[in-house]
Amino acid sequence: MSTHHIHLTLNGEPIAADVPGNRLLADFLRDDLGLTGTKRGCETGVCGACSVHLDGAVTKSCLCLAFQADGRSITTVEGLADGATLHALQEAFMTHGGLQCGYCTPGFLMASAELLAGNPMPSDDEIRKALSGNLCRCTGYQGIVDAVKAAARALNGL
Amino acid sequence: MLPFDIETPATMAEALALLDQHDEDASVFAGGTALVFAMRQRMIAPRVVVSIGQLPGLSEITYCETEGLHIGALVRHGQIAASAPVRRHYPALARLFGSLANPQVRNQGTVGGNLCYADPATDPPSCLLALGAEVIIAGRMGQRRLPMRAFLVDFFTTALEPGEILAGIRIPPPLPDERVFYHRHLRTPAEHRPVANVALRFVSGPDGRDWQNVRLAVGAAVPVARVMDEAARALTGRPITLALASEAAALVAEKLEPISDARGDAVFRTAVLRAAARRIVAEAAGLDWTESA
Repeated sequence: MSTHHIHLTLNGEPIAADVPGNRLLADFLRDDLGLTGTKRGCETGVCGACSVHLDGAVTKSCLCLAFQADGRSITTVEGLADGATLHALQEAFMTHGGLQCGYCTPGFLMASAELLAGNPMPSDDEIRKALSGNLCRCTGYQGIVDAVKAAARALNGL
Repeated sequence: MLPFDIETPATMAEALALLDQHDEDASVFAGGTALVFAMRQRMIAPRVVVSIGQLPGLSEITYCETEGLHIGALVRHGQIAASAPVRRHYPALARLFGSLANPQVRNQGTVGGNLCYADPATDPPSCLLALGAEVIIAGRMGQRRLPMRAFLVDFFTTALEPGEILAGIRIPPPLPDERVFYHRHLRTPAEHRPVANVALRFVSGPDGRDWQNVRLAVGAAVPVARVMDEAARALTGRPITLALASEAAALVAEKLEPISDARGDAVFRTAVLRAAARRIVAEAAGLDWTESA
């Protein structure tokens, strides 16, 4: 099997690695790099727990091979907080009941972060559509929608 | 996932040479959303994956009034949804790609990959049929063009020959007063894969009801998306009423050979498509489909 020498920017830091052809991006992040914030859920592209940003676009890392990250920029949930200061979305998920078990949360945070980057004050409907590639089996989603709205207000200084 | 080698050709010529060299052992890999899943499930097990994601010149959308729209095979679904010329000249197509699957798949999946994988449970093929699209196929002997209806052959089957790569699709410029509608039906909103869809294109007469150049296409409920010529003929040049919408819908239902599986049996899918065909015609004519015929 082929091995690929890849260079990428991971949470702002340049890294290089050798990956076998069939290495999933999700496995590369978790098993090779130890970034276990990205979760493996359904592993069939349905649940969105493995969502990361590839060049700023939210992507399911279980449907992506590691070699595809070559030359690109990846942000995982570990890259959302600024040191000890949580991202406004992370704060809002805590304060608005945006999670219970928390397994789906990294995926929801990454999908929400992409939404707010392009649409700073989304409507409820826009939030629900933007999160339609992510499944949560605890919250019933209302807490998540409330959290995204609260984070949008906070990021807009409201 | 079984092991495989990945090739990353720099040009289309190199990619075609690799396919020629590896023949049936090779699979073409674009965005990866479908192929990674298929390889993980061992539905396919290529020994060589020829990645074309980095090939130049296949990621552009261009529009001109004589040729219409050209979409490179590597254009991602989300790019089509956001494209200014698509939104302006083909708004139904922009809406379709903006609601295809989910945001993550729209960021990663490509239109070429979607068409070549030929999974029937998807949105684009029926609408592209209604729009009269054609595909541009690259091969070692040069390019060839095929109408979409000839490209879409059967369940997970296209007219691509071994060693060929889909380079792009072309959609003719809209005719004056052309109108296009697309509707899909999901089993649940979270599932993302339509169980049935229908697309309608026509040129509207001055009163909005004397239709010419009618194309009606159905997808997802059938093994491969197809145009429904008899229903389109029935809708041509006649005043559109709810009774005529029902007549056209009956012609659609009569000619179907639907998929029957765990997501919907043939009777269910036929009923959904019949209702969908009636509704799309009624809505396009400004009629209230909730009224009985």
